[in-house]
Amino acid sequence: MKSRLRKYIGSFGLISMLTVAGCAGSGSSGGETASSGDTTTGEDVTQISFIHWRGEDVDAFEKIISDFESANQSVQVEMNTYPSEQYQSNAQQMLRSGSVGDVFAVFPGSQFEIMKKAGLMADLTEEAFVSNFEETPIEVGQVDGKQYALPYQMVFNMPVYNKDLIEAAGFDEIPQSWEGFLAMAKALDEKGIAPIAIPAADIGVGQFMNSMVMNNSEDGIFEKLGAGEASLTDEWWVKTLTQIKELLDLGYFQDNPLGTQQDAAMALVARGEAAMLATGSYHMSSLKELNPELSLDLLAPITVSEDQKRYDGIHTATFMLAVNENSEKKEAAKAFIDYLSQPEVASYYANETGQHLTVKDVTYEDESLQNTAYWLSEKETRFQPRYMITNAQVEKAVLSSIENVLGGASPEEAAAEAQKIVEENLQ
Amino acid sequence: MKVSKSIYLFFIPGAILYAIFFLYPALSAFYYSVTNWDGISPSYAFVGFENYVRAFTGDSIFMKAIGNNLKFLLFVVVFQTIVALVFAMILRKNSKINVFWRALFFFPTILSSVSVAFVWSFIYDPNLGLLNAGLEAVGLGQLQQGWLGDESAAIFALAFTQVWFHAGQMLIIFVAGLHAIPNDLYEVANIEGATRWQTFRKVTWPLLAPSATIVIAYTTIQSFKAFDLVFAMTRGGPNYSTEIIATYIYEVGFRSYSFGYASAISVIFMAIIALITFLQFKALRSGRVNY
Amino acid sequence: MVKKGALLLYGFLIIIPMLMVILTSMKTLQQTFDNPLGIPASGLQFSNYIDIFIEQTMVGYFANSVIVTLCSVFFALLFASMIAFGISRIHGWVGGVLFAVFSLGMIVPAQVIMVPLYSLVLQLELTDSLFGLIIVNVAVTMPIAIFILTGFMKTLPKELFEASMIDGAGNWKIFTKMVVPMSLPSMSATAIFLFVINWNDLLYPLLFITDNAYKTLPLALLDFQGQYATNYPMLFTGVIISSLPMVLVYIFLQRYFVAGMMAGAVKG
Repeated sequence: MKSRLRKYIGSFGLISMLTVAGCAGSGSSGGETASSGDTTTGEDVTQISFIHWRGEDVDAFEKIISDFESANQSVQVEMNTYPSEQYQSNAQQMLRSGSVGDVFAVFPGSQFEIMKKAGLMADLTEEAFVSNFEETPIEVGQVDGKQYALPYQMVFNMPVYNKDLIEAAGFDEIPQSWEGFLAMAKALDEKGIAPIAIPAADIGVGQFMNSMVMNNSEDGIFEKLGAGEASLTDEWWVKTLTQIKELLDLGYFQDNPLGTQQDAAMALVARGEAAMLATGSYHMSSLKELNPELSLDLLAPITVSEDQKRYDGIHTATFMLAVNENSEKKEAAKAFIDYLSQPEVASYYANETGQHLTVKDVTYEDESLQNTAYWLSEKETRFQPRYMITNAQVEKAVLSSIENVLGGASPEEAAAEAQKIVEENLQ
Repeated sequence: MKVSKSIYLFFIPGAILYAIFFLYPALSAFYYSVTNWDGISPSYAFVGFENYVRAFTGDSIFMKAIGNNLKFLLFVVVFQTIVALVFAMILRKNSKINVFWRALFFFPTILSSVSVAFVWSFIYDPNLGLLNAGLEAVGLGQLQQGWLGDESAAIFALAFTQVWFHAGQMLIIFVAGLHAIPNDLYEVANIEGATRWQTFRKVTWPLLAPSATIVIAYTTIQSFKAFDLVFAMTRGGPNYSTEIIATYIYEVGFRSYSFGYASAISVIFMAIIALITFLQFKALRSGRVNY
Repeated sequence: MVKKGALLLYGFLIIIPMLMVILTSMKTLQQTFDNPLGIPASGLQFSNYIDIFIEQTMVGYFANSVIVTLCSVFFALLFASMIAFGISRIHGWVGGVLFAVFSLGMIVPAQVIMVPLYSLVLQLELTDSLFGLIIVNVAVTMPIAIFILTGFMKTLPKELFEASMIDGAGNWKIFTKMVVPMSLPSMSATAIFLFVINWNDLLYPLLFITDNAYKTLPLALLDFQGQYATNYPMLFTGVIISSLPMVLVYIFLQRYFVAGMMAGAVKG
């Protein structure tokens, strides 16, 4: 019995050892063939990992990283990019180990909150490079006066519009009241142009809500909502939904807004079939790629009368850079952020990717960046209200009430349904 | 003859892996379901059955997700089973052309769900998509829809994709089941002058019960786990109309970081799957006894 | 006639999306928007394929996927067939309970085990390793393999085993000399099942792999989505490239597969 037992174990053991050796062996060789080339770690070289979600910026970052590596022979950067959905859900899990994401990007709002709560972000307050950033935009990365993350990009999440179409419709100036906005939309509609293309199947709702709510509500309204001191059934939100419904009923959105994804909406604007793209400034360079003839600017629908207007538009400091508290290579990680905050490096990134940045002294060469730079200095913009919602389920309820209205529900009903979900999630 | 005890040795390698990498994490779900862990922080507290109470009494989205999931399940089970059964009967004989058809119908199954999601999102796209363009072309323009963007149509559009994705797999199982039915039974039926429908009722269906059990049970499990497809195509929207239990668990656990609560929902979810599968087995078994 | 019509209709339903994918992969994004279904006047081009192979380290992802899939399928099949054999030989409630415990794996949603599993893999330092991925794949795919194989092995004639036992053959000998050869059809069917699952698996690589050197194809495909948003031509090119190996495996193994599926399902 014993010898037979040994035989079983023996033969099983042999087979598995052989195969494991095979798998493990080929595994590491597979790794070598797949590596992007720079994984050989020399004697004094520290390799840091940089994770983020902006797949469209990979080319620009690759160039920056290779320059950084030539300037700092002792540090190498390995970059990994994830789709933003996955990044929102998985990044905190990956960061817990400390082996990944010595430098990482974090979304403002609920992701920043949870990362702060879990102690994943190192305190950067004392670092010299903090002074390379503009002061006001980076407040969103602070908690109790300490800087945990540094917003890098400056985004205006408000509609992008085709200047020629709006001028052709007889509007040399952008209307500054709700009546004016409706009149402009009507003029466009009568010329057979869809006034607003909104990709409500993916990002449109989350973007458009910001400009629609900015003048309808006081500052800090979503903090109040989260604290149970304000309700979606109050005037500020019902009015916002009613105005969205008005645009829908008048046929001022393209057909099937809820089924439209961002590329389809962009195509409509690029082909001149729609005048406004309800996303944000980050789409301007992509639109120009689709149609270089376009002349673009930004506008937010003003939802009140001209004398009640407080804000012209929306800004967001996004793509916040942070250093992993669990990392053993914090110095190298900070050196990389320092490098990214140098004006020439930041300028390269800004012009390559078509983004405004929070870094000081950036030179914008790109035409649409230059043309819209006045929004940074001359206009009164409100920080994206959506990012003030720190509970992801509450955020989803708020956005769903807009989808509900776009699907035909009455504003009061939609607001009441969403408020119920909000209350369920605040207990 | 008694089987030697050494038979238990056959379980060892698999059981060890299964226990460590599957049972342990699965049982942890039960444990976490009575805590308020956020999935990240080092500390958490025990909250008793609070999470379960919340799921049943204070969470309208969870209830909606169960409803959506049942709609999805019903559509997929009914249509997938009918499609698979009808084509299995047509393609029962092992001729060359039939093997080709079966292979073609099986084809979607080997694609990844991410790929299928990409493809069908494109087809359903109201502006660019094949579907609305196709309806227009054949003069059925009035049937055009926003598909995934339409609150009432979206869940069925997803269910249709699921049927497209997996019906071929079920077809193969039915073909196998049909081959197991002795031909002389059909001959007898033929001699007795039974109509086609009678033959199906009295011969084919009762004898196909074992395959039907597998098909329906497997379809049910697949429908509950259709996370990839739903997540990649609609993320539960618009307005929660395609939120199913699996996507909601993900939302709660990984977007709002209520891992304890997500675990409680998961436990309820497992119970629902187990219950439905059990009821189906019972129904199909009793159906078999009657004949 | 009705039959033929139904076959053609369903056939079209499958072929047309496939053609659309192939066609779109040979267009530019602009051409897709201008006319999603037509062939552009300037003709089709293969530049998307070239771009994907030059810009992405596709060859490496391919190699990783092949290694992970082959090893995972091999071990899952080996362990599962041993367990299935065990279950089929143990009579009474013990066998039933064991079958239930292992089948449980089929109904537990992956989202449930994600976080605890991640912590575990992290502690064992198995992240960013193909080996870690293989181990997890084996553990999570075993249940379905056990489910299919047990059904089949129960149908094998017991008399043969009894005879060999009288001749003094132990369980191991019965397993290797009789059960495995006789089960080859159902094992190849199970193998294809596992191939499909492992080749297309996204969740576990997503959780465990961050180093480009260890990424598998589905993970790379997801990167495309980030990089090209809804750039369908690029995405579809990725879809085709990542599906191609499965299509080839399927064409080669189809015969066994269909035969095996039947063998397994007959007695259910």
